Amino acid sequence: MLELKNLTVHYGHKRVVHDVDLTLAPGQTLGLAGESGSGKSTLAMSVLRLLPKTARVDGEILLDGEDVRTMAWGRLRAVRWASASVVFQGAMHSLNPVHRVGDQIAEPIRLHGTTGSVADLLDQVELPGDKARAYPHELSGGQKQRVMIAMALACGPRLVIADEPTTALDVVVQAQVLAVLQRLVAEQDLGLLMISHDLSVLAETCDDLAVMQAGEIVERGRTREVIANPRHPHTAALTAAFPVIGDPAHRWADPRPTPPPLLQVRDLRVNYGRTRAVDGVDLTVGHGEIVALVGQSGSGKTTLARTIMGLRTPSSGRVIFDGSEVPRGGRALKAVRRQVQLVLQDPSSALNPRHRVFDAVAEALRVHGLREDEEALVTAAVERAELRPASLYLDALPHELSGGQQQRVVIAGALVLGPRLLVADEPVASLDASVRGEIVALLLRLRTELGLASLIITHDLGLAWQIADRVAVMHQGKIVEQGSVEEVLLTPSHDYTRALVRAVPRV
Amino acid sequence: MSVVSRPGVARLLSHRAGVAGAAVLVAAGVLAALAPLFISDETLDVTRVTAAAWQGPGADHWLGTDHAGRSVALLMAQGAGTSLLVGLSAAVLAVGIGTLVGVLSGHFGGWLAGALLRVTDFFLVLPALVLAIALSTVLPRGLGTIVLAIGLTSWPSTARMVRAQTLAIEARPFVERARALGGGHAHVIGRHVLPSVVPLVLVNTTLAVASAIVAESTLAFLGLGDPTRISWGALLHQAQLHGAVPQRAWWYLLPPGLAIVAVVLAFTLVGRALEAVVTPKR
Repeated sequence: MLELKNLTVHYGHKRVVHDVDLTLAPGQTLGLAGESGSGKSTLAMSVLRLLPKTARVDGEILLDGEDVRTMAWGRLRAVRWASASVVFQGAMHSLNPVHRVGDQIAEPIRLHGTTGSVADLLDQVELPGDKARAYPHELSGGQKQRVMIAMALACGPRLVIADEPTTALDVVVQAQVLAVLQRLVAEQDLGLLMISHDLSVLAETCDDLAVMQAGEIVERGRTREVIANPRHPHTAALTAAFPVIGDPAHRWADPRPTPPPLLQVRDLRVNYGRTRAVDGVDLTVGHGEIVALVGQSGSGKTTLARTIMGLRTPSSGRVIFDGSEVPRGGRALKAVRRQVQLVLQDPSSALNPRHRVFDAVAEALRVHGLREDEEALVTAAVERAELRPASLYLDALPHELSGGQQQRVVIAGALVLGPRLLVADEPVASLDASVRGEIVALLLRLRTELGLASLIITHDLGLAWQIADRVAVMHQGKIVEQGSVEEVLLTPSHDYTRALVRAVPRV
Repeated sequence: MSVVSRPGVARLLSHRAGVAGAAVLVAAGVLAALAPLFISDETLDVTRVTAAAWQGPGADHWLGTDHAGRSVALLMAQGAGTSLLVGLSAAVLAVGIGTLVGVLSGHFGGWLAGALLRVTDFFLVLPALVLAIALSTVLPRGLGTIVLAIGLTSWPSTARMVRAQTLAIEARPFVERARALGGGHAHVIGRHVLPSVVPLVLVNTTLAVASAIVAESTLAFLGLGDPTRISWGALLHQAQLHGAVPQRAWWYLLPPGLAIVAVVLAFTLVGRALEAVVTPKR
């Protein structure tokens, strides 16, 4: 049905896709894995000629035997959606906010003059028919993504291209969306080309797997075999980045006795107007202990972290650091902040684009008036974060660094004051798979070398399994379960934890 | 840390209109700076001039003479300084007030922002010219009054813009990181907000100078300027007062008007070019 022969795509002089051959038969599901910049999205978009004008495409793209590259404009318009359609990444941006979703699903049907009913399509993706009258903002992320799938199926295509269809979704919702997609592919005998950076998602849905690196397909085969015995080192790196919960080989933290408490949160409540974001939380982090706080987005875990940092004022309850209560402001709070440091999710926005690495790392020293040995301290912190030699990086601006290097700069900026507790909000969520492992290893090494305790906030149970000593599960502002990693993740006692663990895609 | 880096200068040079504007401004600046050196007081003293009144342009007087026989060309050169000086200092005053109000209201929020914004709204809805006229009538005559009148009435738009930019910067995670590191208000404003606001402020200043020059001309034309100083607007006022129109003395009316248009246009062009250079792509 789809056949790519010697496909090469250039943007100017930059080659993004190099000499790719792929075939896809009806009913076949093919996963395309790769990191950002590997050319996987470019490859997928070339199938429907959706690339920008600056792209130069060589080779053949045969869709049902016809070359998409040489199709007349009218023919191409007919082929788009009727033969092949796309589920775009990020449903919140791909839906028009001012139109009802029913009208948006009906748009391709109207344009192509095909038969089909919005109610049927909504039914197929397991949404009630009255949602057709809803606007995008009235739907949840998972519902919007299902609307996107319904839209892709509107003209009865035989090939569906799904570009990171579940990336922004929580695990539980992700599992639901993947289930819908899988069922539809099986029922309607569709060809599915699914793109993702997440091997576990592809393992869940696709029979075949192709791994891309720097524009080339480095490995392909049956999904189970590729993941079980990766032959290419890049595939191996990708597999290692998605830890299997319960697998001792993926458990990097060594067991240790419970240390004396460093940070204690007692019956903490935080209100936003009438909404209670954090509702009576008790949490303890010991000296040198790594605690993972897991939960879905909206569960209040980020608010809890901000409150611990003193960036929000709690409505009631106490935060005790090293035996004394964290003050609400003034010099005393500033003193506590020397001991507790924050690492944010997206390093590219956590660094001021105008500040060089040296200034970004030295910022903490300057804030606290530690002018002496600035250069030595900054160099030491940068090297601790494994940017060696530091002199190569100190003068760089953030945009000149890769995502992993940027996150190391953020970590160096936190280390420079010699803190005792690191609060990390999704520290690896925006990083590529291969870099992710390095940052996780760095956090563990810092614990071993400096006795640094961490509170890691994440929606990723795999990360918790990899590095945490203890796990606390947060749901609707409350901690519903906490205990050692093995206890919570292998024998969960609360219903919500069980749902979370069950929803994690298995490789 | 330089605001406009080296590639920024190169990009600025690629804006032809901006470069042309800058050339006009340099010429006007040089003229204004040199005028007092080669023009002696006598040549512009009504009691000592020898030439006849209302002479058309010629070899002796490039742009003819005025109602008292003074050379219009020399008056123009002398007036350039006043116009540019008033324009620049009024713009700096307006942008200064605007930046201060914008950053403070954007950073602190709460009741302070509420109060500052109401004051901004007050100045925004009042017709600036009417207010400037009222101010320059009440205050003693002089250059300072003109600057004050223009500066005090033209800051609200800058304040609004700076506040918007401040709010955008404060929402960025690196400001939260700075707070978590222990940075106080001074640190966040000084290290993160101001450096991001300054390029916009610079652009705004060049655009504000243009409107300040027009405002100065307007006030001078209405006879509210500093009577002891010659400016382009004051020349227009004099021309109108002494009947240049019935005399058909186009050489007395057109040059100051065209000079104002040229300089204002030049400032606008430079401002637009700067804006294109400093506005972040992301």
